Amino acid sequence: MKILVCMKQVPQKDAPLKLNESGTWIRDDVSYEVNEPDAYALEEALRQKEKHGGEVVVITAGPPRAQQVLREALAKGADRAIHLEDNAFVGLDAFSTARAFAAAIKDEQFDLICTGLQSDDYGFAQTGVILAELLRWPHATIIMQIEKTDAGIKVKRELEAGYFQFVDMPLPAVLTIQSGINKLRYATLIGIKQAKNKPLRKVALAKVQQAIGSNLQKIERMYIPQKTKKTEYLEGPPAEIAKKLVDKLRNEIRVL
Amino acid sequence: MLVFRKPPQNIERPQMPADVAIVGGGPAGMACALRLAQLIDEHNASNPKSQLSKENIYVLEKAREIGQHCLSGALLDPRSMSELLPDFEKEAPLDAPVSKEAVYFLTESGKFKLPITPPPLRDHGNYVISLNRFVKWLGSKVEAAGMTVFTGFAGAELLLDGNRVTGVRTDDKGLDKQNQPKGNFEPGYDLQAKVVILAEGSRGSLTKQLINKFDLSKTRNPQTFGQGVKELWEVPSGRIAAGEVIYTMGWPLTTREYGGAWIYGGKDNVVSLGFVTGLDYPDPRLDPQRVLQQFKRHPFVAKLLEGGKMIRYGAKSLPYGGWFAIPPIAGDGWMIVGDSAGFLNSQRLKGIHLAIKSGMLAAETAFDALKKDDFSSATLNQYPSRVENSWIKQELWKVRNFHQGFEHGFLQGMFHAGIQQFTGGRGLRDRYEATPGYARMKPLRELPADGGPDSHLIGPAKGDGKLTFDKLTDLYHSGTKHEEDQPAHLIIHDTNICESRCITEFGSPCQNFCPANVYEMLDDSAAPNGKRISLNPSNCVHCKTCDIQDPYQIITWVPPEGGGGPNYDGM
Repeated sequence: MKILVCMKQVPQKDAPLKLNESGTWIRDDVSYEVNEPDAYALEEALRQKEKHGGEVVVITAGPPRAQQVLREALAKGADRAIHLEDNAFVGLDAFSTARAFAAAIKDEQFDLICTGLQSDDYGFAQTGVILAELLRWPHATIIMQIEKTDAGIKVKRELEAGYFQFVDMPLPAVLTIQSGINKLRYATLIGIKQAKNKPLRKVALAKVQQAIGSNLQKIERMYIPQKTKKTEYLEGPPAEIAKKLVDKLRNEIRVL
Repeated sequence: MLVFRKPPQNIERPQMPADVAIVGGGPAGMACALRLAQLIDEHNASNPKSQLSKENIYVLEKAREIGQHCLSGALLDPRSMSELLPDFEKEAPLDAPVSKEAVYFLTESGKFKLPITPPPLRDHGNYVISLNRFVKWLGSKVEAAGMTVFTGFAGAELLLDGNRVTGVRTDDKGLDKQNQPKGNFEPGYDLQAKVVILAEGSRGSLTKQLINKFDLSKTRNPQTFGQGVKELWEVPSGRIAAGEVIYTMGWPLTTREYGGAWIYGGKDNVVSLGFVTGLDYPDPRLDPQRVLQQFKRHPFVAKLLEGGKMIRYGAKSLPYGGWFAIPPIAGDGWMIVGDSAGFLNSQRLKGIHLAIKSGMLAAETAFDALKKDDFSSATLNQYPSRVENSWIKQELWKVRNFHQGFEHGFLQGMFHAGIQQFTGGRGLRDRYEATPGYARMKPLRELPADGGPDSHLIGPAKGDGKLTFDKLTDLYHSGTKHEEDQPAHLIIHDTNICESRCITEFGSPCQNFCPANVYEMLDDSAAPNGKRISLNPSNCVHCKTCDIQDPYQIITWVPPEGGGGPNYDGM
């Protein structure tokens, strides 16, 4: 199987974020990491390759720093990488990103494209799905398991409330992978060293500019959430308080 | 039941040959790697027939990303950087040149400004930097020079063959809480290196292994340490200028403790402030994180920070035993650089420039060794000679007795410091003796129950959530993260001592000196004194204080799974 994995570099989950001057995104002087679901997508692709043979190619769009994500993927066992390298890719919406990817891989023949379920920063959960539409391929989301069959693949999707759905799909297809589907491997010293000599194709913005068009979605303004604190006393007999409390937790705070 | 990290036996480990293995990617290790790359490039340019390869030279860095475990004030004395990369100022991330400096002596609510700034604390010509950002940049130079930096890999053990260091083993990845291999277990590599350069920072774990193995500290003074606790603040504009430097002495410490504070103005209204408490205080209940909180409550500091926001926290030990505490720094197959060796000027409170310089000198020696293909102590001992003949020795010799002078308190210390200033560093004796700091800790029975004059420094800080913070709130701001399912990397060699002796004799000081709430004594009716020791290793900020300061010396800090630890962005 020839598999493409779409990966994204995102700010580290616990990084202290500051807004940029125009208030439209964060300042980029933070630490970055691989988008978590993408790491699972990569791991799943590597496992499929180990079982069925083939090739794993990783792709990302972002400034030079985003290359780190590709290096890590190559170190873990991906065969080659494609980097759509430009600062401008940071601000693209899901539609534009998917179109950029589609343009960058138009000369390749993949059997399967895996993406993470969604990104930790924008959280669109759309790039993979739109990419499937652009390629006119079937897709399935929130994948928990992939099994190769004679006709294509059988996948397990996570639904709500502990339910799963099993779907038989033809290939080629796009899957968006849920975190936790597998156990991530570690990069090894030899892997990191070998990654230095693996092919990494750079694609300039100009190459895909025409395909991208203009953003359909843009961030007008971001706000730091205002912290507020409110204390409310529940009164009455214990049984009644318990009832009120459950009601609040379930319907107001929605943690139950 | 506590299970400690231990390398699994009888497993096959991947092997990898290395010409040079540098353990630790801080200022010393990175400067060493960069200097070595420069020398090899120069050599190769003029010797087309005898080319040296950079292919098998590696830097191991336990942080997930370069610079993430680097914490310092920090002021950079540019001397060594100008030698390493002339004109580095043009591209290095520097916050501001030092523009203004002052030293204050604080009392509980007042302050006296020293009429003149003592010469060692004059900082014009230096830069306020974030060591994290600086090392990130230096690391990018190293990588651009064609050197390989393995981030997320710690040096876990030294490989030895008789009296020779033959390499370094990296950390085992994928061990669970019971020290058993998980599905994704990756054994550490045996990096078979011709020379291992230890650049682990303060109290390096491999350095400790080496010093113990060869008894390297036997003719030296014991190393003494301080613990620096730091917070980064964003304050309303106009409070402090970028490049403004303030040092304080006195409050909240009393004359029994050694230490002081720094406040540096960085760019974008960010203030770096921190308190270094000497790890030789007498009261085991003293809590250095609390010392910083008390310091901030002083009106002078509180006013500076009012309306601001704490954005980052961290802590780290630093070695300030000085020249006489530096162990032999080279032998068969090994060299030690930077804070691991103890290259820190305790009087100026600066070590970055010395770390860089020592790394460069080790690189020059490693380069000679590569050319000769001789990595025995005969060749590597050129490194200590180079240090002897460099300005490192000149600078450290002048302050060789500085910290020891303070062994009997602040007032005597000032007296000795004064005499040393006029005798080229000698003072009253050629070599002042030193006691290891942990040995100066007094048992509880010799101390007043309420702490007496130290009562404001003992026990955990409560914190008001605005100006002062409890330890867990502070810790949250260190960005510390570890794989949870792994064995404890704080190895307590005998937990019986914790539960039967330490708890009654010293009141379990691990809970106090650890700036990250790693150690806890939990109620347990089965334990001899009603409490058992418990560890939260995931909280560890890798400061090494426990390894240094525990009064029974039964704690060994070993690196956890590589990639874990604090995230000192901007620190």
